[in-house]
Amino acid sequence: MAFRCFSSYLLAFFCMFFGFHCVAASQIDSANLWIEEEFQPSTLSKSAQIAEMNWFIEAARPYKGMQIRVVSETLNTHEYEANRLAKAFYQITGIHVVHELTGEDDVVKKMSAQMLTGQNLYDAYISDSDLIGTHFRSGKVLVLSDFMQGQGKQVTLPSLDLNDFIGLKFTTGPDGKLYQLPDQQFANLYWYRHDWFSRPDFKRQFKDLYGYELGVPQNWQAYEDIAEFFGYHVKTIDGTRVYGHYDYAKPDPSVGWRISDAWLSMAGVGDIGLPNGLPVDEWGIRVDQCRPVGASVARGGALNSPAAKYAMRKYIDWLNKFAPEDSKRLTFKSSLKWLKGGQVAQQIFWYTAFVPDVISSNLAIVNPDGTPKWRVAPSPVGKYWRSGMKSGYQDAGSWTILKSTPLKNQQAAWLYAQFVVSKTVSLRKTMMTLTPIRRSDIDSQFMTAKAPYLGGLVEFYRSNARDVWTPTGTNVPDYPGMAQYWWRFISDIILGKLTVDEGMDQLANKMDQHLFELSHKQGVCSPQLNPIQSEQIWLDKPGSPKRFDPLNQRGRTLPYQEAINVWQ
Amino acid sequence: MFGSSALFKAFVTLLMFVNVWAASAFAQNKPVIQVLTYEEAPFAKIKNNHKQGFIVDLVAELFKRAKLDYRLDFLPLKRILVTTRLNEYYCALPVERSQEREVTYKWVSPVLVSRYGLFSQTDNKLPLVTLNDAKPYVIGSFLGSGVAEYLQGQGFTVEVTARSEQNIRMLQHKRIDLWAAEIESAKQQMTKNNASLGKPELVFYTSIRAMACHRSIPDTALENLQSALTQMYQDGFMRKLYEKYNVPF
Repeated sequence: MAFRCFSSYLLAFFCMFFGFHCVAASQIDSANLWIEEEFQPSTLSKSAQIAEMNWFIEAARPYKGMQIRVVSETLNTHEYEANRLAKAFYQITGIHVVHELTGEDDVVKKMSAQMLTGQNLYDAYISDSDLIGTHFRSGKVLVLSDFMQGQGKQVTLPSLDLNDFIGLKFTTGPDGKLYQLPDQQFANLYWYRHDWFSRPDFKRQFKDLYGYELGVPQNWQAYEDIAEFFGYHVKTIDGTRVYGHYDYAKPDPSVGWRISDAWLSMAGVGDIGLPNGLPVDEWGIRVDQCRPVGASVARGGALNSPAAKYAMRKYIDWLNKFAPEDSKRLTFKSSLKWLKGGQVAQQIFWYTAFVPDVISSNLAIVNPDGTPKWRVAPSPVGKYWRSGMKSGYQDAGSWTILKSTPLKNQQAAWLYAQFVVSKTVSLRKTMMTLTPIRRSDIDSQFMTAKAPYLGGLVEFYRSNARDVWTPTGTNVPDYPGMAQYWWRFISDIILGKLTVDEGMDQLANKMDQHLFELSHKQGVCSPQLNPIQSEQIWLDKPGSPKRFDPLNQRGRTLPYQEAINVWQ
Repeated sequence: MFGSSALFKAFVTLLMFVNVWAASAFAQNKPVIQVLTYEEAPFAKIKNNHKQGFIVDLVAELFKRAKLDYRLDFLPLKRILVTTRLNEYYCALPVERSQEREVTYKWVSPVLVSRYGLFSQTDNKLPLVTLNDAKPYVIGSFLGSGVAEYLQGQGFTVEVTARSEQNIRMLQHKRIDLWAAEIESAKQQMTKNNASLGKPELVFYTSIRAMACHRSIPDTALENLQSALTQMYQDGFMRKLYEKYNVPF
C-alpha cells in the first residue's frame, strides 16, 4: 500500500512536469487496482495480468472516449459483466460500454432487426451459438477468423489463446471459419435429490415396487418410474408434499426452446453424429450436403416422426401426471423456485446456468457445510436414442458482431469482448457465475477446491461430455425465423388446442414452408426441399426418421458414481 | 383508475364507436383494421384536429402497400394495449416488443427503434457509468411503458405517472431522482414544458417498437404488412421518414 501511495505521488510529479501519458498512467493504476481487488483468482500470475491489461490500455487508445453498446440475455454471467466488468473496462481503457441485459428472445429479435434495417442498434451481441446455421448463410455477420487477421489484427489480444476455449467447434461454420467467440457455456443435465435417492427406506421401497435399484435413471422408463414413486408412493417428506417430476409449460418462447434444445435429442429423433446428427439433426431437419431438404417425414425429415411424437407425448403425460400444477404457469425464468423450495425429487434436464442460485447454504437443498443435497448427472434417454448421438443440449452464449456496424465500433466492441473472456478476468468470472469457457479455468486448482460444492458440474466440464452436450447446429438455416414456430405449436399442444399428432404435423409443415421461402432468399447452402413422398419410403430406410418402435423400455438406473463415469 | 368521469365517458363512447364500426366492417367482410396509437411527439400527435407525425405517415404507407383498409385513433398507451389484446382486428403501435409480451399479440416489426435515457435534475447531476449505478435512486417513468417494466423487472425503484411529461415536474420537485424516457420524445416534452434537463446521464436501453395486433388477425394480413414494412426499409422509405422527423436512424 505504501508503495502504491509513493507511486501515485511519483505519477503526479511526472504529470505536472511532463504532462504526457498521465491519463494512461492513471489507467494503469486502475488496472492494478482491479487486478488486486477483483480479478483474483486468475490462471495468470499478477505480472502476466498487468501485461495483459497494459496491452488493452495501448490497444484501446484510438477508441478512448467512445461509447459502445452491447446486449446479452439476463444471466448471472452477463449481470456480472454489465455491472462490474463494463465498469472495469471503462476505467482501464476509457471506452464506455453500455452492456444491456434483456430476454433471450429479445436479443435474437434485436439482432434480426439490425440485419433487416441496417441500423446499427448494437456494436456487438452475446448471442447463442444456436444461430451458427443462420450466420454462415446470411453473410451479415463479421467472420471473426478473417477479422483477426485483417482489420481487427491490431485489436486482437496476443494472449487470447483460442485453443484454450472449449466451445469453438460450436461457433465455427461448415466453411471452417469462426463466426462467434464463446462468452459463457452451460449444459442441460439431469438434476436430482441425491439425499432422498440415498435413503435406505426409499431404496428398499423402490426396489420392492419396481424390481430394480433406485438410482440415476439411464432411460425414460426409469425416469417415469421414479417420478411415479415420489409423486404417488412417497408423496410427502417431513410433512411436505413432494413431486417426482418438474417442468415449465407457460406459453412463452422458453417453452419452445425446452423442446427444441433437448427433448427431441434425448428421445433420439435425429441421427448419429456430433455435435449434431447427420443428415438429420435434433430439430428433425435433414440436409443433403449442407442444404436443408425438409423437416417433415414426407420430405425425409423427422419433426413429425414417431420418435418426435413419442417425445412430445412423454412431455405432456409427465407434466399432467407428475409435475406440480403450477408448472403450467412457469417459464424458464420463474421455474427455479420449486427446486429451491425442496419439493422436487428430479428434473429430466436442468440448465446449469442456475447453479449459482442453488448453492446458498440457507436453502433447503444445501447441507449446513455448504455441500449440495442435489447432484447433476447425464440425462436419461428415450427409446429411439442410440450411442453416438448427442446426449443433450449445451448453451454457448457467444460474441457476435454484425458487418453493418461501423469498423471503429466493431474494433472497440471486439476489445470489450476479449476483455471479458481474457485470462486476467476469466477465472474470477467463472468462479462467480459457473459458466466456464476456458480449459485452463476448468482444470485450475481453484475449480478442484470448489468441485464438492457444485454437485457434479466440475466433473461434467472436465470430461468429454462437454463435447457430447451440444447446441443447435448448422442444419437450421434461420434460427430467428424458425424458433418462433416451436413455442407456438408446442403451446397449442400443451393447452389442448391441438393433439400431439396434429401439432407436430403442423409444426413440420410450417418448417417445410419456411425452408421453401428461404430457398429463394439465401445463397450459400440455401434450403432445397425434397419432393413429397410416401412417409413409409423414408421410414423404411436406415437412420432417421425412425419407424415406430412398439417396444417399451425396461427401467434401468446406475449409482451416481457409475452414472458420471460415462462422462470420462 | 380513470382521471375523471368525463374522461371515462369519452373513452367508453369512443370504444363503443370503434367497436360498432369494426364489427360492421367485419360483417361486410371487409378486412378493415382498427389501428390505435397514442400521443408522443414527434412520433404521433394531434394538432388542430389533424393527426400527424412519424407513426401517422408510417401507418399510411404501410397499409397502402399492404392493400389493407385501416382507421387510426388515439388513446392513452395503457388503454391501447388492453383494447388491442381484447378486440379482434385491432392493432396498436408503437409498442415495445419484449419476450414477456411476445405471446400476447401478433407482431409487425420493427416500426421504430428508440433509445431510452436517464435524465437527472439540472442542479443535481448523477453521473452514471453502468445502469446498475442508478440502483439507489428513484426513477420516474409512465404507465404502460415497456421501459418501466424493464426497470422494475431488474429490481429498480420506479414511480409511474399517467403521462410521460409529468415526470419533468416530478424531477424538478425532487420527487424522483431520475427520469427514464425515450430520448426524442423527451426533447419535445422539455421544449413544450419550457424545461432544460440537458443530455441524459446514461442512454441505457434500446427498444424495438412494433405494431402489436390482436392474435386473431389473419396470417395473410400479417404477412402482407410485414413484407410491406420490409420493403419500406429496403427501398429507403424508412430512412427518409427518420430524416423527415429528425430522428437519428
